[in-house]
Amino acid sequence: MEIKTELPQIFDSFAQARQNGFLTMKKIKDSGKGVVGQFCTYTPLEIFMAADLVSVGLCATSDETIPEAEKVLPGNLCPLIKSSYGFAITDKCPYMYFSDLVVGETTCDGKVKMYELLGQIKNVHILELPKRQDTPQAKALWYAELVRLKERVEKDFQVTITDEKLREAIRRRNAERKVLKELYELSTMTPPPVTGLRQLQILFGSQFKFSWEEKIAEIKNAVNSIRQAYEAGERPVSEQAPRILITGCPIGGVTEKVVKVIEDAGAVVVVFENCTGAKQMDRQCKEEGDPLTNIADHYLQIGCAVMTPDTNRFELLDRLCDQFRVDGVVEMTLQACHPYAVEAHTVKMHMQKRNIPYLQLETDYGTADMGQLSTRAGAFVEML
Amino acid sequence: MKKISIGIDCGSAACKGALLREGAFASFCVKPTGWSPKETARQVLEDLLEQTGTVREDAYIVATGYGRVGIDFADKAVTEITCHALGAEYLLPGVRTVIDIGGQDSKVISVKSGKVLSFQMNDKCAAGTGRFLEMSAHRMGVDISGFSALLEAGKSCTLSSMCAVFADSEIVSLLAEGKSREEIAGGIVHSVVSRTISLAARLEAEPPILLTGGLAGLDKLRAALELQMGNPVFTSPLSRFAGAAGAAEWGRQKQR
Repeated sequence: MEIKTELPQIFDSFAQARQNGFLTMKKIKDSGKGVVGQFCTYTPLEIFMAADLVSVGLCATSDETIPEAEKVLPGNLCPLIKSSYGFAITDKCPYMYFSDLVVGETTCDGKVKMYELLGQIKNVHILELPKRQDTPQAKALWYAELVRLKERVEKDFQVTITDEKLREAIRRRNAERKVLKELYELSTMTPPPVTGLRQLQILFGSQFKFSWEEKIAEIKNAVNSIRQAYEAGERPVSEQAPRILITGCPIGGVTEKVVKVIEDAGAVVVVFENCTGAKQMDRQCKEEGDPLTNIADHYLQIGCAVMTPDTNRFELLDRLCDQFRVDGVVEMTLQACHPYAVEAHTVKMHMQKRNIPYLQLETDYGTADMGQLSTRAGAFVEML
Repeated sequence: MKKISIGIDCGSAACKGALLREGAFASFCVKPTGWSPKETARQVLEDLLEQTGTVREDAYIVATGYGRVGIDFADKAVTEITCHALGAEYLLPGVRTVIDIGGQDSKVISVKSGKVLSFQMNDKCAAGTGRFLEMSAHRMGVDISGFSALLEAGKSCTLSSMCAVFADSEIVSLLAEGKSREEIAGGIVHSVVSRTISLAARLEAEPPILLTGGLAGLDKLRAALELQMGNPVFTSPLSRFAGAAGAAEWGRQKQR
């Protein structure tokens, strides 16, 4: 396998932030570490951690490379898929560029077919994700898929992943989930000590910290400084601000706009039930017993609209609505994300039964809909 | 607390104003929005003040409509959804559903006692909006009143496209095929109505229903909506002022 350690040719024209991303990744590569890029919360990062690899999320959330992607992909496809593919073919994403292995999962048809195209230019491994979480067959399939991933990683990077290393990885990832959960649970307080935008930026940004020790230290530091400021009387959010839960498709990057319109309208986002938020931090992975089985069980139970039935998502939504005492639920669906868009109706009905106002906002990675979004979000906040 | 409350609803096509004094509307004003929403809104304000002999300092001003963010002289900006609901309650007390077909947005709002329960809005495109109808009328060489006259014939044809841009070329083809303008006008209204119905279908649209917005004056459109909704659809001579009236009412109730 050829390992990329040179910077892309168009490097000089890159904006500062992305250049920093490239330089960080280059430093990692120069230190001899392998890099694995992944798209989805279902990808078991413990396997890469146990192999001493650096893993990074590839959902490049910007519309910058969409025109390039649309030369190949259909226009009315999910922007997340188009954007990720666009970043891969243009060498504009440091994480995609330096990924030695890209892991995709069969979460939706659009992604699956895009991976086939991606496979022509990158080293791609596809995990077959079952659509159920509660049958022995589904569990067996997923376990077998993780065995296959482990073997692929061992072969590609010429390493041996021992049970001991997997156990250590579970322990570390659990610690990470715990501090991130501690961070977002600060917003159970009234008023919350941080805005939703700030919370999201920390959660999203934490995906781009590549040293586990530094990451944990930084998040702990953030939790402490937020607490101290709150105790010192700092109140960045009004006590009257209606409390919003955001659910739906992966959020972050340009889709921060959804949080912005809600908070500009005078509400506060207290919790994210998206992949960046509670969906992946809420539960701990079992530490005793066979580590790979534990990892498989843990990840399979993530509540995503690709699952049927998607019982776990609703269980988590219910719990978060109570714990964070939410006044309204906003669901963000990305254009052409059929699983979430269809399930939105079920979420709406569910919230209606619970008497919690609900609003669905469909968007993409452009900014042309800011006016419409702010009218919808504004009207929703005004009716709470 | 100020005794006078002014609502300015700056839409994409028209800018409407309403002045509320001691619980009653003392004046209304409407102007085409033109290219500068802010400047037009200022003129609407000045007209209202002049007509009622009011000074600016005595009035609390609430802006709404798509131009609301640019109206920097307003004391508060409130979305048109909230304002239409409040305004509709004034025009038709007890109203439960408001259908607002505006210049660039159409919306169906579920209301109770002037409070929004839920709402549906068209997506980014202009399908089913006033703009859709205006562009189509323009293609046939008529303005809204000419369009209204065409509808009197009670004819119709099928327009297969909901999209304003595609409908435009479809109208060109239909005219070339020899379809009459009366038939096409009926087809356009049918398009607007079916688009509105599909929005209404997404919430519990209970009667009584009030039609507001720029197209409320088209009786054939109202009648077609009524037929499809299966319930009476009311309009008011002040329907186009629903947003402005609601904004003024919001100011009366909520100003601090």
